[in-house]
Amino acid sequence: MSDEKNHDYHLVDPSPWPFLAAWSTFIMAAGFIFFLHDIGSGLIPLFGLLLVLAMAYFWWSDIVNEAEYKGDHTPVVQLHMRYGVFMFIISEVMFFVAWFWAYFDAALFPNELIQELRIEYTGGQWPPLSIRTFDAWDLPFINTLVLLLSGFAVTWAHHALIHDNRKTVIAGLSGAVLLGMLFTVLQYIEYGHATFDFDGGLYPSVFYMATGFHGFHVIIGTICLFVMLVRTIKGHFKPDHHFGFEAAAWYWHFVDVVWIFLFIFVYVLGAGDPATMPVAH
Amino acid sequence: MATDTALDAHEHHTPTGWRRWLMSTNHKDIGTLYLFFAIFAGFVGGAISMGMRIELAEPGMQFFPWIAEYIQGADDPVDAGKHLFNVFTTAHGLIMVFFMVMPAVIGGFGNWFVPLMIGAPDMAFPRMNNISFWLVPPAFCLLVISMFVDGPSGYTGTGGGWTIYPPLSTTGQPGPAMDFAILALHLAGAASILGAINFITTIFNMRAPGMTLHKMPLFVWSMLVTAFLLLLSMPVLAGAITMLLTDRNFGTAFFDPSGGGDPILFQHLFWFFGHPEVYIMILPAFGIVSQVVSTFSKKPVFGYMAMAYAMAAIGFVGFIVWAHHMYTVGMDVDTQAYFVFATMVIAVPTGVKIFSWIATMWGGSVEFRVPMLWAIGFIFVFTVGGVTGVVLANAASDRIMHDTYYVVAHFHYVLSLGAVFGIFAGWYYWFPKMFGYMYSETIGRIHFIVTMIGVNLLFFPQHFLGLAGMPRRYVDYPDVYAGWNMVSSIGGYISYGAAIIFIYGVIKAFRDKVPAGDNPWGEYADTLEWTLPSPPPFHQFNTLPKIK
Amino acid sequence: MMNHSKNINNFVWRKLSGFFLLIAGLLSASAAFAGENDFGIASEWQWDTQAPATDMMANMISFHNLTLWIIGAVVVFVSALLLIVIFKYNAKANPIPAKFTHNTFIEIAWTVVPIMILVVIAIPSFDLLYKQRVIPPADFTIKATGNQWFWTYEYPDHGDLSFDSVMIPEAELKEGQPRLLAVDNEIIVPINKTVRLIVTASDVLHAWTIPSFGVKIDAVPGRLNEAWFKANREGIYYGQCSELCGKDHAFMPIAVRVVSDAEFAKWLVEAKIKFAATPSLQNVKVASISAAE
Ligand code: HEA
Ligand code: HEA
Ligand code: CUA
Ligand SMILES: [Cu+2]
Repeated sequence: MSDEKNHDYHLVDPSPWPFLAAWSTFIMAAGFIFFLHDIGSGLIPLFGLLLVLAMAYFWWSDIVNEAEYKGDHTPVVQLHMRYGVFMFIISEVMFFVAWFWAYFDAALFPNELIQELRIEYTGGQWPPLSIRTFDAWDLPFINTLVLLLSGFAVTWAHHALIHDNRKTVIAGLSGAVLLGMLFTVLQYIEYGHATFDFDGGLYPSVFYMATGFHGFHVIIGTICLFVMLVRTIKGHFKPDHHFGFEAAAWYWHFVDVVWIFLFIFVYVLGAGDPATMPVAH
Repeated sequence: MATDTALDAHEHHTPTGWRRWLMSTNHKDIGTLYLFFAIFAGFVGGAISMGMRIELAEPGMQFFPWIAEYIQGADDPVDAGKHLFNVFTTAHGLIMVFFMVMPAVIGGFGNWFVPLMIGAPDMAFPRMNNISFWLVPPAFCLLVISMFVDGPSGYTGTGGGWTIYPPLSTTGQPGPAMDFAILALHLAGAASILGAINFITTIFNMRAPGMTLHKMPLFVWSMLVTAFLLLLSMPVLAGAITMLLTDRNFGTAFFDPSGGGDPILFQHLFWFFGHPEVYIMILPAFGIVSQVVSTFSKKPVFGYMAMAYAMAAIGFVGFIVWAHHMYTVGMDVDTQAYFVFATMVIAVPTGVKIFSWIATMWGGSVEFRVPMLWAIGFIFVFTVGGVTGVVLANAASDRIMHDTYYVVAHFHYVLSLGAVFGIFAGWYYWFPKMFGYMYSETIGRIHFIVTMIGVNLLFFPQHFLGLAGMPRRYVDYPDVYAGWNMVSSIGGYISYGAAIIFIYGVIKAFRDKVPAGDNPWGEYADTLEWTLPSPPPFHQFNTLPKIK
Repeated sequence: MMNHSKNINNFVWRKLSGFFLLIAGLLSASAAFAGENDFGIASEWQWDTQAPATDMMANMISFHNLTLWIIGAVVVFVSALLLIVIFKYNAKANPIPAKFTHNTFIEIAWTVVPIMILVVIAIPSFDLLYKQRVIPPADFTIKATGNQWFWTYEYPDHGDLSFDSVMIPEAELKEGQPRLLAVDNEIIVPINKTVRLIVTASDVLHAWTIPSFGVKIDAVPGRLNEAWFKANREGIYYGQCSELCGKDHAFMPIAVRVVSDAEFAKWLVEAKIKFAATPSLQNVKVASISAAE
């Protein structure tokens, strides 16, 4: 009969979340701007943010439900998810391209004669004369190890998941989450030792916004891994059906790779000569 | 009786009323929402452009000071009017680009016909599809709000142009208006990225058995390339406008020279997005025109593979030409030379498309139904707009034309004529399929002819103005430019009149309810959507079609 | 002489291209005006570029005419094909459609011929581009600074000479001064001297241009952009700010008066006295901003 579904695609039921999430975003955005301009209270954007998070929660709960209990996630639907998450990560890569572009625009051209005011700021070199950069081989290096280690932990957990070894999955994921949190804490400590302020011109701009957005992604990634941990504990995921887990792992590796780039280009190659830098305070 | 129960069950699953539209997970309903939103935005953006044309009809300032005085109640109507003109230009550009063309071709036709043409029951992510649409109205609201809150001190709205170059968009307009515009772009951009992900996944994974990539209709190809352009370019814009936001509100110095930043950096980031963006707007039109031309010439598309790969080539090269918008910013000469070269290269694949359309018609048995009129019109006006692009591509002479009305003429020929003709070709072509009714052929023809006269009268003289030196984004101009501006304004009024004829035709079609039948165009409309009833059932292809 | 024949050549080009546009069915009424440019300003119903006052602009016009011819031919060609299709292959004239979908020869042709056309455009294009952007040794330098909404000019090679140039409001225009173009203090330069321009801005983007000179260069805060011109004809030449800079973007024109060497020398002496006495608006503005802070 033609009305019956004879394919494996998932025709999703009507859902209120997209509509509500979109207008929650509106409240968040408009409230945020008013807050920036001292109109209205800072609670409005927070309220908007809460709404957005709630919608995301309901939405994803539906997905988990459909995956775990309704059996909607046939192999082809899982394949969709793979494509979708992969594309999403590509778009994130392009987002970071913008920040790296800003960084290289500054780092590679600190001394173009026609850029009069930039030379005044940089003193004709990168890092700018007035900046004392971080020692790459101190906290940043430790953080590199922390992130790489957590990447291994995720892979370890994934391996265990494929072999249906739930205990190891939980151990691996917990390790990854803890290491992710450790990264955030260390990054926070590092920021606290900075000798330059956020609004101190070009160097802090490119430095804080690039590493800051990375840090933000670390937090998101940690939350994703944490959710996967909770789901593992709840007994979700099968050795041959656990794309949610894999997506979180992909995302985590992506965050890793961005950090490697930051570490190499911003911290190591952009370190400058400590001898000529202003002293730390 | 068995069929009856099945039907009942079916209707039970079909949402109705507000649930159907607000909570939709159906690609056709979402496509319809997009289309009507685009029509609405087209009228808003068009009305704004009429404001500009009324002001520019004669030298001196008349209209905007009047609005400033009597509608805004400004105490300095002349100055407020000057700023208001810039606000209108900005809103017009942004609305037409982000809220008319993109929703129409990608959200509207893309949503409707990509699944139908590849033999899929829906999009890959139906729920995400809905948020792609529902982020657009809030974004539009943010943009509209921006017109009514403080921009530069003392005036309301953002007047930075759709390109929002700093420092005018940072220190130049400290009020919240610019922040609203920026967040409007963030939301619209996020919607586009999600849409792009959806299209790519759908096209790669949901083709019916036998529908190989090389059998896909060209419209689907065009959407595939467009989706990649969106996916790769939008996030860069998001980054750029985030930098604007932090420069404005949190003291960063990306674009602030006094902190070592560089306003030109924004232009690079913007155009790295902005140039692919113009192909995002035109490629779907290419796809539509290919379908229409083949249908009404009663001939298969000439050079299918070349057509598909030409679009891919245009998309690829489109990423490496961005600085042709920046020949006067003081780039060094070798860089300029590179961008001249790369930009001109695009004329080659585009020429392949133009000639292949003509070759499709060549030897055909061409029927001049309304969609075909728009398609032929498209080929002509797009060629006119495209070749002036080649003139602009040459840095050596772009220096005369840059930031003059020559550029305005160029991009309206490819957009307001090219892309919009493509949209109307698609609208008339698929109207019977989407809504089950036939449009009025007579009104369709009148709509076409009046538009054709109007827009050419409107934009052709702008080439003259530009060559003669009239800069763009000007509320008032030296008296020598009066003549062509008057002609242009008259053309503008005619164009808007044509849009009203269009809407009359739409209303009439819905009132007359002339049934269209499954396939009003005959055997050469041979893509899968024509195998379905008009309008197609709520869920089509419950049994996937097999393609030979 | 070289220059002269070039100008004639140019003139012929202009006439021919005008003729062409006419044939293309474009507004015959305008044609009568096309040749009669005043220098330095457009004329009514003008539909082509302003008349050149530098060799560079003359070259740019010839180059533009070349491209105009080519694109005109492309448009005519495409239109002709469309017309043939419309008349020969409509459903009445040709009831049975052909079936072909390929023709290797023609596909190669319509790829290769445009490439060749583009090469024809590219060669003079690059040539001209390098001529424009490789700045010859200059006789002297003028620095132009864009401000919201007027220009400040400095003559660093002539002592401390510097002055503002502000549009004359409509009510104060004198006979013969064009509305929106005339300024209180014009830039004065001697004829046939290479002038190097340094262009920058103090607040937002602006762009300095004189169409008749073929110069347009953005004024960017924090950047020192360079351009140059060598005017070959005395007279006054107007341009208008060409980068959106806010409310009065349309009201900050640029005016350059090209004079003889003697007049220039005379002006220098007078200007130094005159402008030494007047404070720059730019300083006033900066002062008022810092006072406000
Ligand atoms: C749909 C949108 C669209 C499209 C398709 C195009 C297509 C092209 N554009 Fe356009 N452009 C815009 C939208 C678009 N543009 C906009 C919005 C702006 C202004 C933005 C702003 O500043 O606000 C702009 C500005 C713009 C500039 C900057 C001008 C300036 O500010 O100084 C340049 C310069 O190179 C340019 C070039 C081109 C070229 C070479 C093409 C080519 O792709 C055209 C190729 C097509 C053809 C050439 C015709 C068909 C070909 C043949 C028939 C073959 C034979 C032809 C030859 C051999 C010549 N465009
Ligand atoms: C697609 C884009 C688009 C479209 C359609 C138009 C349409 C028009 N534009 Fe456009 N314009 C821009 C994009 C567009 N413009 C951009 C990007 C700028 C630059 C802004 C800037 O400088 O920052 C600009 C700038 C611009 C200027 C220069 C302003 C200045 O420099 O100060 C002028 C002046 O005349 C102008 C006039 C018009 C007019 C009279 C129309 C008329 O054609 C309007 C008549 C209305 C229509 C033809 C719309 C009909 C369509 C529909 C009703 C939707 C149908 C939908 C479906 C069927 C689904 N526009
Ligand atoms: Cu100064 Cu526009
Ligand atoms: Cu472009």
